Amino acid sequence: MWLLAALARLQPAAESQAEDVSCLRRIASGDQSAAGALYDRHSRSLYSLIFRIVGDETESEDVLQDVFAQAFRQAARYDASRGAVVAWLLMMARSRAIDRVRAKRARFEGRTGDVERIDQMPDSQPDAGAIMLTEEQTRSVQRALGELPLMQRMAIELAYYEGLSHSEIAERLEQPLGTVKTRIRLGLLKLRDALEARA
Amino acid sequence: MSTHDELKANAAGYVLGSLDATERREFESHLAHCAECTAEIASLRPVVDALATSVAQVTPRAAVRARVLDGVGAGLQTSPQRRPRALAPVWLALAATIVIAVGAGLYAVRVQRQMADLQVRFEQVRATSAVLSAPDVARIDLQGQPVAPDAQARALWSRTRGLVFTAANLPPAPAGKAYQVWVVTAQMPVSAGLLAIDPGGGGTQYYSTPPDIAAPVAVAVTLEPAGGVASPTGEKYLVGMP
Repeated sequence: MWLLAALARLQPAAESQAEDVSCLRRIASGDQSAAGALYDRHSRSLYSLIFRIVGDETESEDVLQDVFAQAFRQAARYDASRGAVVAWLLMMARSRAIDRVRAKRARFEGRTGDVERIDQMPDSQPDAGAIMLTEEQTRSVQRALGELPLMQRMAIELAYYEGLSHSEIAERLEQPLGTVKTRIRLGLLKLRDALEARA
Repeated sequence: MSTHDELKANAAGYVLGSLDATERREFESHLAHCAECTAEIASLRPVVDALATSVAQVTPRAAVRARVLDGVGAGLQTSPQRRPRALAPVWLALAATIVIAVGAGLYAVRVQRQMADLQVRFEQVRATSAVLSAPDVARIDLQGQPVAPDAQARALWSRTRGLVFTAANLPPAPAGKAYQVWVVTAQMPVSAGLLAIDPGGGGTQYYSTPPDIAAPVAVAVTLEPAGGVASPTGEKYLVGMP
């Protein structure tokens, strides 16, 4: 019985991935309506993540536009074996949003020179999130995040939503580097447990 | 050389993308032959995916769709544009092109600099007005401390849009020193950034603040070594509580 239930939940995810891949193929062959379809399917979740990071409506819109422009440009090169399209889009959204915030911060603080990019993380990684999560799983992670001890939660949020490195987080929270690493790990393990309890 | 436990402590940071370049390279070469860490990475990756979607969901304005898709038209054209054939001798065209390109290049660099400058100013203004019009804006007035009794300042803070700080009557910062603005939370003072003041002792500055910052219990300005510090060390010049 549980297997059927699990399959029923997975099915829409798999279908959704197939549809995304077909959109990208059509975009690559010059079909503009497919670009609209891809936008309609994902603009809300991408924009939400970008807005969480950037915190400004106009700038978030700019970043969203950049992300889709990049996705449309790279549609032909998308390799389905690398993971879910939505994970790829979310990853681009995150790294571009963080780049934007960093560049802005650097300008406001009057620093010049190159702003460090976090592009290093993304698509070189194997197996970029082949799993797609159900809404219920996402909600349970959200809940679990709210229940983490404050310092664990802040460390994770600074890492993920602000793109800070371990040492930058240590500085910001005025904690030893080792403590920060431990807190991030413990926090993520708790979130994982919350997620697996729903799997 | 790091021990296995030290390396494993970096697994979570690797998945979050928060290792610096050296740590990352070291961890990747370790991953190649460590099944335990590989398994931990695989188990944590869905958690990070969930972080991406577990934010408050907001719908972008309807006009954005047209903007995104308008941009596509040009990008999606597959047939390359044909170029007209050159009528003049090739060397002449080439020489002319170089002259024009150099001129245009120099001009473009200048324009670009001016644009970048204007953009910074514009963004400051836009961010500032966004704070002023934020529904959650809170006002905190700061009083001059014994070292600068005449100094005054006001902070306008919105959790979602950031902090606008205006100060007046501050004494000029001595050489090698700078004023730094702090948002003090129950846990710790968080640096908002440096405050540049004009010769009259006034200055206005926008700072972005982390949206998840704890509610401020005070805002303060201290005099610190130029470049700023991670936590306040110098004398307090201005302090205010909400």
